[in-house]
Amino acid sequence: MKDLIEYIAKALVDKPADVAVKEIEGEQTSVIELKVAKEDLGKVIGKQGRTARAMRTILSAASTKIKKRSLLEIIE
Amino acid sequence: MESYEFQGKNTQDAIEHARRELGLPAERMEIEIIEPGSAGIFGLVGGRKAKIRVKIKQEPPDEPVGEESPSSIPSVKPSAQETTEGVEFARSSLEKILSLIPVETAQVKSEQTDGTIRLTISGDSSGLLIGRRGKTLDALQFIVNRIVNKVFEERLQVIVDSENYRQRHHDSIVDMAMKLSDKAKISKKPVSTAPLNPYDRRLIHIALREDGEVETKSRGDGTMKKIVIIPRKSSSGQPGRARSREDI
Repeated sequence: MKDLIEYIAKALVDKPADVAVKEIEGEQTSVIELKVAKEDLGKVIGKQGRTARAMRTILSAASTKIKKRSLLEIIE
Repeated sequence: MESYEFQGKNTQDAIEHARRELGLPAERMEIEIIEPGSAGIFGLVGGRKAKIRVKIKQEPPDEPVGEESPSSIPSVKPSAQETTEGVEFARSSLEKILSLIPVETAQVKSEQTDGTIRLTISGDSSGLLIGRRGKTLDALQFIVNRIVNKVFEERLQVIVDSENYRQRHHDSIVDMAMKLSDKAKISKKPVSTAPLNPYDRRLIHIALREDGEVETKSRGDGTMKKIVIIPRKSSSGQPGRARSREDI
């Protein structure tokens, strides 16, 4: 899950070196925290949150596969 | 698989270096971007070179490869070159995402017409990858579009499809448009659709454009709007309205 978000985020931003992804695993739900450079925040969120929404959709498809739930949090 | 790293002032430049150095067409290279590079502030401070990793794919058996030698590259028009690279880049990006989901069985075929790249996913995970009402497929398409258009200056449109979903969806939207317009004509009252995305709205507007008995209007704010199908007052109810489906 972590690698998936990390790959997508790095491909979208200007500063891939500043992309940090942390996965906090819970029993049923894991939280994926995505941190990017301040200037890149808009790139991972997108117009009206479209990019963030698309990432969450892909993430939830990936989670269904392993029968878990995942949440994506973008940290400022 | 052998892999090489290349640098350039931007990603496109690095890919071009790789092509020259390896003397291979873009189709045979699997490109991974390590560092997209940046011009820095006013091109002075903090500029970084773009870095890519290239893996060479096995030669496809039925394709003549020898014809694209390094010396022939300068004669190729830059735009044509960019598009073949675009297709390959789009495909390898999608493949990478799928492998991380992970859906191992998925295969991606690519084709291009002008500025449009069509990627078709096949394999037994199609249901998962399409999602409810194509939600996941749309998300993948959106992300791949973003990734591709970040690297290439030329605007490229990427369509991600699986199990012919796009065509099936097109047919069902047009079918719905026809049913709702019938309803509007019979009841002589405006009929409204559910909130739809711009692409689906466009399909409905086009489907009903030729129909003189109704007009279509988008209502609402934001990306999701409803379409109202309004029956035209003139000439309807006259004996000559042979175009109504009820009369056929």
